[in-house]
This record gives sequence, C-alpha cells and structure tokens, in this order.
Amino acid sequence: MAALAWIVLGLPLLGCILLALWPGEPDRRITRVVGVGMPVIAFVLTVIVFAIMVGRDAGERGEVTTLWTWVRSAGLDIDLALLVDPLSVLMMLIITGVGSLIVLYSAEYMEHDRDYRRFFAEMNFFLFAMLLLVEAANFFFLIVGWGLVGLASYLLIGYYYDRPSAVAAAKKAFVVNVIGDIGMIIAAFLLVRELGTLDYLQVFATAPDGLGQGSGAAEAVAVLLFVGAAAKSAQIPLHTWLPDAMEGPTPVSALIHAATMVTAGVYLIVRTNVLYELAPYASDLVAITGGVTLLVAATIALVQEDIKRVLAWSTVSQIGYMIMGAGLGAYGSSMFHLLTHAFFKACLFLAVGIAIHALSGEQSLDRMGGLRRHLRLTHAAVLVGCLAIAGIPPFSGFFSKDEILAHALDAGALGVALAVVGLVGAGLTTFYMFRLLFRAFWGPEPDGGYAHTPHNPSWVMSAPVAILAGLTAVAGLLQVPGAWHPLENWLEPDLFADPGLEASVSGEVIVGVASVVLAIAAIGLAWWIFVADPDRRTRLAPALPAARQLLADQYRFDDVIEDAVVQPGRDLGDSLTGRVERYGVQGSIEGAVASVVCAARGLSVLQTGLIRSYVFAMVAGVAIIGVVFALAVR
Amino acid sequence: MTGAVTHEGVPLVAYLAVSGILFLLGLLGVMIRRNPLLLFLAVELMLNSANLALVGFSRYWNTTEGHVFALIVMVVAAAEVVIGLGLVVAVFRQRMALDVDQMSTMKG
Repeated sequence: MAALAWIVLGLPLLGCILLALWPGEPDRRITRVVGVGMPVIAFVLTVIVFAIMVGRDAGERGEVTTLWTWVRSAGLDIDLALLVDPLSVLMMLIITGVGSLIVLYSAEYMEHDRDYRRFFAEMNFFLFAMLLLVEAANFFFLIVGWGLVGLASYLLIGYYYDRPSAVAAAKKAFVVNVIGDIGMIIAAFLLVRELGTLDYLQVFATAPDGLGQGSGAAEAVAVLLFVGAAAKSAQIPLHTWLPDAMEGPTPVSALIHAATMVTAGVYLIVRTNVLYELAPYASDLVAITGGVTLLVAATIALVQEDIKRVLAWSTVSQIGYMIMGAGLGAYGSSMFHLLTHAFFKACLFLAVGIAIHALSGEQSLDRMGGLRRHLRLTHAAVLVGCLAIAGIPPFSGFFSKDEILAHALDAGALGVALAVVGLVGAGLTTFYMFRLLFRAFWGPEPDGGYAHTPHNPSWVMSAPVAILAGLTAVAGLLQVPGAWHPLENWLEPDLFADPGLEASVSGEVIVGVASVVLAIAAIGLAWWIFVADPDRRTRLAPALPAARQLLADQYRFDDVIEDAVVQPGRDLGDSLTGRVERYGVQGSIEGAVASVVCAARGLSVLQTGLIRSYVFAMVAGVAIIGVVFALAVR
Repeated sequence: MTGAVTHEGVPLVAYLAVSGILFLLGLLGVMIRRNPLLLFLAVELMLNSANLALVGFSRYWNTTEGHVFALIVMVVAAAEVVIGLGLVVAVFRQRMALDVDQMSTMKG
C-alpha cells in the first residue's frame, strides 16, 4: 500500500518530466497518451490503495511511509514521508479521479492550441503537487506541496501568456497565495518552537498537552494556518484572485479552481482538526469567515455577465459552506460537501466549457441563449449540476449542504446565525445558477443568431461530463441522514478530536424542508424573470441601480485592497527609489566616486610630463628620506 | 679602516670618491640637459659610477659577487640603450625637436 502511494505520487511527475523534456515537438498522440495516461494509471492505483484500506480494520488504516530522512538536526527531524490514511485516500481519489476525467476532456478541448504539450505537462505537474499536498506526512512537505500547487496554478492561469489580463490574473493569484504561504510557514515555526516537531501524528498526539486547550499558542497556530487556508480557498478578504483566475483555460478552472486546489484549505482544517478543537476562538473565526464569504460571493454571483465568473463566485460561495462547516466542527460534513462539490462544480465547468468551445470562446451570457436545442447532453449536465447545487433532492448538494446547515443549527447561537446565513445563501445560489441555466440554455437565441451552429463535441469531451453528471446525481446518497453515513465512519480515525456535535433529527428536517422550499421559490423566481417573459428582464434591469453597481463592482474589494495595500506599497517603493535609493545608496556611492575623482584631478597637476621635474622630485625625495634616516639613526 | 693605503695600491675611498663624483655628474646631466641623447649619456654615467663602486667594494672584500653584478648591470645598460636609442630615432622620424621638455603630452 505504501509503495503504491509513492507510485501514485510519482506518475504525474513522470508524465510532466517526460512531456517537458521530450526532444522536439512530440506528436499529439504521444502527448495525449502520456498526459492522460499517467493520471488514469494513478487513479487506478489509488483505487487499489483504497480497496486495500477498506479491507483493514478501522484502527489500522493509517500508515506512514518514510523514503528517507531529509533533515536531521537538534530538536527537529524532517522525513520525506507520506501519510496514507482515510482522509488522504479520499482526497487522492477525488484528485486523480476528477483529474483523469478533466485531462481526458482537455485532450479535445485544447486541440486547437499550439502549446498542447505545455498544457499537459503543467496539468500533470499540478496533479503531482496536489497529491504531495494531501499525502504529506508532516507540515514541511504540506507547505512544499502548498507552494507547488500555487506555482502550478500561476502557470496555468497565465497559460495564455500573450493576454495581458491573463498574466495580471496569474500574478495576482500568486501574490495572494504567497500571503497564505507565509501564514503557514509562521504556523510551522510556532509548532517547532512549542512542540519540537512537524510530523502530523506527533503534533496531533502532543498538541493537547503541549499547547493546551484554548491557549494563546494554539489560537495563534490555528489562525495562522487559516490564513494559508483562506488564501488557497479564496475566503474573504483573500478571495479576489479566484474570479480573475478564470482567465485560464476552462479545464484548468474546473480542476484547479473548482474541484481540487481551492478546497485544499478545507482539507487543511480537517487534517489539523485537533489544533482547531484546541482553539475555540480561531474556530469561530473560521466559521464566521466562511459564513460571510458564502453570502457575499453568492450575492456577487447574481449579477455577473461572464458565465465562468458566475461559476467562480459560486465556487467561492460553496467553499464558504465547507469552511463554515469545518469551523463549526462538522468536519465529516465539510469533506462530504467537498466531495460532492468536486463532482458538481467540475461537471458544471466542463459542461459550460463545451458551450464555450461550441461558440468559439464566447463567455458572455448576453451572447448565449437557446443552447439547449443545440447541445442536449450539455444542457442535461448543466441542469443536473444546477439541481445539485440548488439542493433539490435526491441530487448530491441536497445531502451535503443540508448536513452542514443541520450541524450548524445544533452548534449554539453562532451556529444558528450561520445556518440562517447559509439558508439565505442557498436561496441565492439557486437563483444565480438557474439564471445561468435559463439565460444560456433556454430563452431566445441572441440577436442575429449564432454565426456557426454550435457543434456537439466527440465522446472525449462528452464522456467526462456524462460521468460527472452521473456522480453529481447519485453521490449524495453516500450519506443519508438518519439512515447511513459511511463517509463519516470512514473519516472517523482521522477526526482525532470528537467535537460531540451530532446533527439532531429535528435540525435535519427543519433545514431540509426550508432549503427545498427556498430552492423551489428561487427557481420559480428565476423562471418568472428569465423564461416566462424574456422582456421582463430588460424591464427589471434598471431597478436598484446602486445595489446592482455595488454587486457588479464585487463590493469594491479590489479597490479597497488597491487603496489600502497596493497603493501604500507602491508609494513606499516610490519613496524608497526616489529618496532612500537616490540619496542614500546612490548618493553615497556617487559622493565617494566624486571625491576620488576630485582628489585625482588635484593630484594629477603633479604629473607634468616633464622628465626633468620627475627626476628632481625623485632626488629630493631620496634626499629627504636620507636626512630622516640619518636623524633617526642618530 | 677607511682611507688606509693598502700594499696593493689604490685605497677604497678613492674608488668611492670617483664613483660619487661620476654619479653626481650623471644626475646633474639628467636634471639639466634637454637633449635625449645626452640624457642617455648621463644615465650611462650613473650606471657606470655604480659599477665602479660595486667593483671597488668587491675588491676590498676579496669576493667576486660585485664583479658579476657589474657585468649584469652592463648587459642591462646595453639593452636599455638599444631601446632608448630606438625611441629617440622614432621620435626623430616624427620630425619632432629633440627636446625632452617638449615631449610632455603624457601629463595629467
């Protein structure tokens, strides 16, 4: 099992190296075989690991495997080691499974791109980095993986490097992620100082005594880790990079910026649940941040005109649910929502990608409409995805989202408040998703129709969408409240601290009924505005201009950050170059040079070019030295 | 010891006196004359005054190092004269006056 985990980790890296170092421009078939083959093999091996693990007793499923000791110093050992346990295997299954489907899809989606090979090399590199992140057995390699997925994300957002907006978006994503990296690194420093180890199992075993319940150190570590999680998972106020990240190709948005990388923050909190149980204030901060994010992102998504940006804000909002659940101690429910979200959001992105592909890159909702008549399968997939995210039973979102909200209802006053926020967010979510569906796939075609009839893709693109749509439809049945919850049982060994939070039946019923009623009302509203009478939208558009503008500006987060952080930084840089550098650094050097030049110019008067004067000076010098010596000797 | 007349003839002080006079003459020549040829002449005079002192001392101490060194100085002086005269001829070909005071372009 341990060896297999290493191979799973190594295969995408091998794929990346093969594609990157292949001499010359490889044939597209070779690129396809290597680029798609490696993730698929990795997925098959992960399934085998999973099968082996299922065969073991719950207590013996975790396994640490060390390749070698990387750092050995006084008070700190760092092993290159993997931790294969139920949580990491769940993440590996999502990463390699959804990843394989998405790279298969990309084989056709990226067909017209001249950098075919670079795309697959970078996708494989991302899969390697993400697997390292979830398989690492200590905080050190977690941070290594954390940084590498940031790099992969940077490379793939900036994939179309000849587009200035893509380059700017890539830079923004990288800078924001580095802020998170710094938080995690400081958290790791604190752990080394307090506990003297970075190894997960040792940290989790010694933390309750070493840090202490509710101690300042525990709160600090938890908050700093959350800085990393918030940056990676696009939580307020570090969320602004994710909508811009839609500049990358659609498969990248589906894999990195919807299904896997952005949920790494949730994984991190669930992985370090022991630390969060020790830090109640940090947990509340996490939950509140998640709640605020889910509501803010859901409202912004209401007015987006770019189809991918709607999905991006929806991703921010859905991760808000997961973070909120993790903050409230409902770790199993958060992971469940992570799983179903990976399915339905990847499904939605890929299906929308088909529409974009069919319209030769058109992303504006204004220039879409009536697509369901051309793209039947895609329409069905988007409909399934929308029903899932809206929480209509029996689709997956109903079970996973409601489980988080039901847990929240039982988690005290804060939990009840957040549950209400979550329910409101669920209603908004349903509205904006069906707005997307109705405007792109229903309603009239845009003025003048389409230049080319939208074409259906081959099975290479259809199959992943169909599979993901199928999973989206049924994955929710994995956990049915009151009946069975295998996922929670599966993760039990990893949830070291038992928060004692059990969703009550009444909570489940309240949330279930309320969310379904809200969802149906929101669908009805969307239908009334966008389908029943297509002109109603134009008539309603001028209503509430200030609010619409605020949402269209995304609450001006970008402007505030620009004014509060970026501009002061720029001013500081300007004053450093203009004053400190000009007069302090450059000035002192120039002064030294000028004084030397000046002295040399003065002394150069002595060089007359007249040999006889030199001789005279020499003789005079010798004479003076002679006199001095003579006097000294006497 | 100095100034003592040995049975072998000329005392050391005489050598040194002649050597010193020759050196001073050479030095004055270098400082006063402006013709490069005469400048060389004066330099040779100084070199040879040094040779005379070397040989004188060598004889006084009954060793051979001074003699050998004087020979080396002569070789070096010959080489120096060859280069120096070459330079003088080159300067003359440029139709410049043979006056070291006018060859003063290399100044600060």
